[in-house]
Amino acid sequence: MNQEKYNPTAITLHWLVALLIAIAFSVGHYMADLDLSPWKLKVFAWHKWVGVTIFALVVFRVLWRASHTPPALPAGMSKLMKNLSALAHMAIYLLMLAIPLTGWLHSSAAGVTVVYFNVLTLPDLVGKDKALASLFKEIHESLNWALLGLVILHVAAALKHQLVDKDNLLNRMRW
Amino acid sequence: MKNITLGAVLVLAALWTLGEAIAGGIIADKSSITFVGKQMGAPVEGRFTRFDADIVFTPVKLAQSHARVSIDLGSIDLASDESESEIKGKSWFNVAAFPKAVFESTAFRALGGDRFEVSGRLSIKGITRDLVVPMQFRTVAGVQTAEGSIELHRSDFKVGEGVWADPDSVAEAVQVRFKMALKS
Repeated sequence: MNQEKYNPTAITLHWLVALLIAIAFSVGHYMADLDLSPWKLKVFAWHKWVGVTIFALVVFRVLWRASHTPPALPAGMSKLMKNLSALAHMAIYLLMLAIPLTGWLHSSAAGVTVVYFNVLTLPDLVGKDKALASLFKEIHESLNWALLGLVILHVAAALKHQLVDKDNLLNRMRW
Repeated sequence: MKNITLGAVLVLAALWTLGEAIAGGIIADKSSITFVGKQMGAPVEGRFTRFDADIVFTPVKLAQSHARVSIDLGSIDLASDESESEIKGKSWFNVAAFPKAVFESTAFRALGGDRFEVSGRLSIKGITRDLVVPMQFRTVAGVQTAEGSIELHRSDFKVGEGVWADPDSVAEAVQVRFKMALKS
């Protein structure tokens, strides 16, 4: 079956962002329960740097996606499934933007300015505020669990296409 | 009888308030002590919400001027409960053993205009060091105000010991800013 693929830029962005999200998620999950120590400060800084990188890449991805038509979905998919797929992808994009943003908001509210790779100082989005800081922390964490759920759905759906429908959908995301 | 007691209490309260207002004190809500440190290259701001100052400053009578500022280290505000409880602990301020930081002036020097230099001793965590603090003295909205900033090195006072001594995670230098609104 000769199937249209995503363009190489979109494919690269997809896998790069997926890898970085896996790293940021794991590091974030690990660091949340650490006792305060120099190591914790380091890990937090690294987590933020990865997060800022993801945010920048996703902004670029959104612009790229908006200006490039993705390959058509398999003909066998029902209208409902196509709509659900579009909805799930939209939600993943929103979360990929909202999660770094809420992390950045949390950092600002907690009185720690984000300095990307110790070089680029990002503006504080809100003033120091303990209550706001813990609110953004809660939101940041909840959105991450929501993203995990959607990623599981995303992977399960891709595998279902590949193994059950046998429409070779995964090929679209291969270089 | 009740009225007399109440009257006495009111008079005492009035005298006490008056006593508070004598020259040398500061207007708490117009005064501030803030600082900026750096962790992993990122600036972190904080402040102390409780401090006391006894300042008598007359630009033409520098020899008679003096300042004593006492900071309640337990009142540190870092916008994070976790950081606050850590910094009050033994490795940092050890607030249980050393609740206050105290600055006591020894001499004032005029630098011209509204600028002055305050020499004095700063004690934190049982360690006393000589310090020269640049200060600007001017009237802000009708209130005589002394303000300035100075860079301190936390290791000079053993603030951040053990694993925290590493300046890569928390920088050595801490910029401290003060603004003292003097009662007239």
